[in-house]
Amino acid sequence: MHHFPEPDPGRPDLRSPQRYLLWLATRHPAAASLAVVHGVLCTLAQALVPYAVGQAVDQGLVDQDKQALVLWSGVVMGLGVVQAITGTLRDRCSLTNRFGAAFRTMQLVTRKAAGLGAELPRRASAGSVVSVGATDITRIGAALESTARGGGAVVSIVVVAVLMLTLSWQLGLVALLGVPLIAWGVARLMRLLHGHQQNLRQEQGALTDLSVDIIEGLRVLRGIGGEEIFAGRYRERSQRVRHEGVRVATVEASVVAGRLLFPGLLVTAIVWLGAHFVATGRMSAGALIAFYGYAVFLAEQLRRATTMVDQLTRAVVSCRRVVDLLLLERALTSGDRDPAELSARADLSDPASGLRITPGRLTAVACASAGDAHALADRVGRYEDSGAAYNGVPLSAYPLAAVRRKIMVVDHEARLFSGELGAELSSGPGTAAADLDTALDVASANDIVEALPDGLSQEISGSREFSGGQQQRLLLARALAHDPDVLVLVEPTSALDAHTEARVAARLARHRDGRSTVVFTTSPMVLDQADHVVYVEDGRVAAEGSHGELLRDARYRSVVTREVSVS
Amino acid sequence: MSALPVATSREVRSQARRLMRQHPRELAFSLSLHVLATLAGLVAPQLLGHLVQEADGAVDDVTSIALVICAAVVAQATLTRFAILASLKLGEKVLARLREEFVGRVLTLPMSTVEKAGSGELITRTTRDIDVLAHTVQMAVPDSLVAFATVALTLGAIVLTAPVLILPCLIAVPVLWLSTRWYLRRARAGYLRANAAYAQLTGGLGETVDGARTVDAFGLADSRFARVNKDIAESYEAERRTLYLRSVYLPIADTGYMLPVAGTLLIGGLLYLGGHVSLAAVTTVTLYVQQLIGPVDRLLYWMDELQVGGASFARILGVEAVSETSGDGRPGAVEESGQGIVVSGVRHAYREGTDVLTDVNLKVEPGERLAIVGPSGAGKSTLGRLLAGVQPPSGGTITVGGKPLAQLPLSERRKLVMLVTQEHHVFRGTLRDNLLIARPRARDEALEEALRVVDAWQWAEELGLDTEVGSGATALAPGQAQQLALARLVLADPRTVVLDEATSLLDPRAARHLERALAQVLEGRTVIAIAHRLHTAHDADRVVVMEDGQVTEAGRHDELLGQGGPYARLWHSWHAGKAAPAD
Repeated sequence: MHHFPEPDPGRPDLRSPQRYLLWLATRHPAAASLAVVHGVLCTLAQALVPYAVGQAVDQGLVDQDKQALVLWSGVVMGLGVVQAITGTLRDRCSLTNRFGAAFRTMQLVTRKAAGLGAELPRRASAGSVVSVGATDITRIGAALESTARGGGAVVSIVVVAVLMLTLSWQLGLVALLGVPLIAWGVARLMRLLHGHQQNLRQEQGALTDLSVDIIEGLRVLRGIGGEEIFAGRYRERSQRVRHEGVRVATVEASVVAGRLLFPGLLVTAIVWLGAHFVATGRMSAGALIAFYGYAVFLAEQLRRATTMVDQLTRAVVSCRRVVDLLLLERALTSGDRDPAELSARADLSDPASGLRITPGRLTAVACASAGDAHALADRVGRYEDSGAAYNGVPLSAYPLAAVRRKIMVVDHEARLFSGELGAELSSGPGTAAADLDTALDVASANDIVEALPDGLSQEISGSREFSGGQQQRLLLARALAHDPDVLVLVEPTSALDAHTEARVAARLARHRDGRSTVVFTTSPMVLDQADHVVYVEDGRVAAEGSHGELLRDARYRSVVTREVSVS
Repeated sequence: MSALPVATSREVRSQARRLMRQHPRELAFSLSLHVLATLAGLVAPQLLGHLVQEADGAVDDVTSIALVICAAVVAQATLTRFAILASLKLGEKVLARLREEFVGRVLTLPMSTVEKAGSGELITRTTRDIDVLAHTVQMAVPDSLVAFATVALTLGAIVLTAPVLILPCLIAVPVLWLSTRWYLRRARAGYLRANAAYAQLTGGLGETVDGARTVDAFGLADSRFARVNKDIAESYEAERRTLYLRSVYLPIADTGYMLPVAGTLLIGGLLYLGGHVSLAAVTTVTLYVQQLIGPVDRLLYWMDELQVGGASFARILGVEAVSETSGDGRPGAVEESGQGIVVSGVRHAYREGTDVLTDVNLKVEPGERLAIVGPSGAGKSTLGRLLAGVQPPSGGTITVGGKPLAQLPLSERRKLVMLVTQEHHVFRGTLRDNLLIARPRARDEALEEALRVVDAWQWAEELGLDTEVGSGATALAPGQAQQLALARLVLADPRTVVLDEATSLLDPRAARHLERALAQVLEGRTVIAIAHRLHTAHDADRVVVMEDGQVTEAGRHDELLGQGGPYARLWHSWHAGKAAPAD
């Protein structure tokens, strides 16, 4: 059997969703064709069981031939064994197709999402990308898997049709006309049921949302009351779901009855006609038994064939989402200037605002509006194309990866990934593990690590495991451990209490001494530690100097000091 | 291990029996309909056997037999319809009751239990477990009952047709029994692992998307690709394990299904040739045995589902165990003249052995405005929660007007003291719904007044009280959510208010303005404010400084500044670099 993951998912055919699906289907040609072959053999074995039973009745029982009886009973058993074995082989081959397609798609999408990086949120909604993992890969995989069963069904329908027509063309005709008619009728009924079920699912979804809402707001409720009101709301919703459920049940019960009634009536018709033929000697008793079995068998195979068509249609829809995503390309271009030039000590400048960052200093930037801080950070970190330049050369002239290595921006969108905490904090190329302890100390994050049962080896499930203040300190520690030449921090201490904030600000200044650090902040504790403070208003540098000097400027003072006036 | 208990299998069984006993008539009605429907389904093979035997019989006979088969089919379909409807209706009824009882219990859970378990665990129980239970109650239970009844009745029909022909069916029993037992013992763990691996795989992509900017900043594209490959390897390994289980089980089971068919043909045929049974009997029983495959297969399939459903049921019942063992105390009135809140010798630990609070003593006078400050992790929020009676302290006492707070019933406690934290949850529903939680019969004028106090009327009026807010609808900014929480407080108007960073998400100037307005409305009420912004402390009657789970300083702002202790240091560092102190 094949082994996953494959080191390289390959180059997909993205010309259309259908071509992408075909490309996936043909990645494992041997497994794919074997799956269909086994699928056909399995259903054929199943199809021949009624025939063999009929022969056993005719040749063995009616003709009272012991040898024939033993022979045909043996054939029935043999068909059972063949069916069991080929069915299993089919499933084994299908697994390669199913998961090959799902895993390959997952690899391609992950690579694309990671490659788009900061541009991803602007280019595609998070939900649409995540749903590829949650639903689309399952649908695509299931569709490819269904081709084995569906292929078997199509072949066996043809074989059974021929068999029936040779046994008795009149009865065969009745069955061949009746079965699709019933399949069509049942499909209509099912569609009706699906419509109702959708309403029910919506009601159920709303009920679930309400219960999640209650639990998430439980602390708020505990503080201020309102439990009875919510219990009442839940009961009301729950009863609505119940009534909708009963309505669906009414339809569902009728559908089940219909699925019994229509094939039942067809079988009755076949039995009645067949019995006439048997009575008039035009057909054997065994053939009648076989027909009885075929009518049941055909209905099942038709269902499988339609399921396959249905799943393939859905898979194409899913493939379209995948292809759309895979076709996205980064808008930020990568320049080809020698990245070695970036290692020179030089100014980082943003002509649009007039901001100039001299190397080796802690520069604090106080922006009157939070939006300015993010826009400026995006420009000097080249998350957006602008005139921002290093040593007078636009950042866009250098390879993007080199700029990222040189300048690191950490803002409120920074996240920790799940995994071992220590590994996550020192993740990425160029991090010396020994620096992590120092970094944790600077960020005052030691106590967070110490509180974890396994310390740095603790498996964490991502940022959300920590409170806002803890997240900020850990994210700061990660950035410091990474030790970039230019570190740009956006409001790195906004969630910390006064004590911790003062400690972090002082240690940060000392730790980053000699390297360039830019902190966008309005906290007086951080501003006071900076070598140089820039005040930005309306997107432009309005004043520069030390924190103490700038405090004389009324505009600056109103932004950064949480003035306490005598009441 | 989960922090929320899980019911034992004995409790699960007794609860399942209780549910059955609660609706005896509906249950009996639906079961007897199912039995009748199954009986109708046994008619056709019986008559078909006759037809084969009387192959050269009269044509009239054939027509009347066909008519009887037709009638049986119609009867089976009709009976099945009503049987299914009856059992689904019963299922919906039982299910609605179970989930309502469950959510009712969740709402009365002690806060300490909720926090220990984490809201994730509770959400899993309300969403996944309720869903699984729904599936079990609506599908697995009725269908397995029906399948069981069908198997039993069909076997009965075989015995009635020709007792000796039951023997070939029995060949399959040990094969199916042993192989199914082997499979079920392993399948649960296998499928759980496969699901977990799949969730991990999906979660990995979710993280890549959510942290796209971090991936970019740290150059983590390769590490994310390595992560997806690691998850794929685990997922594939898990899928291969379940495939192995199916590869062993399914061929054996499928062969097991075919054994009785071939066996009946052969043994029955030999018996017929020996003149011991009739041709009709052999034919009928062969058809019956083929009819058995479907229900036996379903029955075996549901065995697994029933196990899963039972596990979910146990988790749902487990919540009941907690809410019953820790009641909220007996009712008892507190005199209006209350002598304030007295905290004596209070210590508290969330986890055994690690005290968050050690020996806290504090007296809060009625009508006093108290500020609690200190570094994070000092135990401020814990003290706030204990003061609000959200949970009882591990040691020591907190009394209001001389009565221990923890022993007051919830409704009584709420009139005395309320807690608003920095938690900014907006409930799904209209803006009005969000406010009415605090005072259900409040008129719109009262809502407007409350919103004005918290400086929220301007945006609230623009939005309209009937606008749907909360997740999935109009999103409110965190600051607006805090204003809503405070507006609820104004509406509820308790005697004591605990504000834990309740304005932290507003910008400093707006926060200060709001706090002042709130102070006016709460004039005469006791206000305990926990804050890391020191202007709150400056405005208070008294400041309490907490460090390492203890009260280290208490007094008026000016006094503390003069003492030059921790508070003074904090105050000066907060004003670091300021040209001149304002006061």
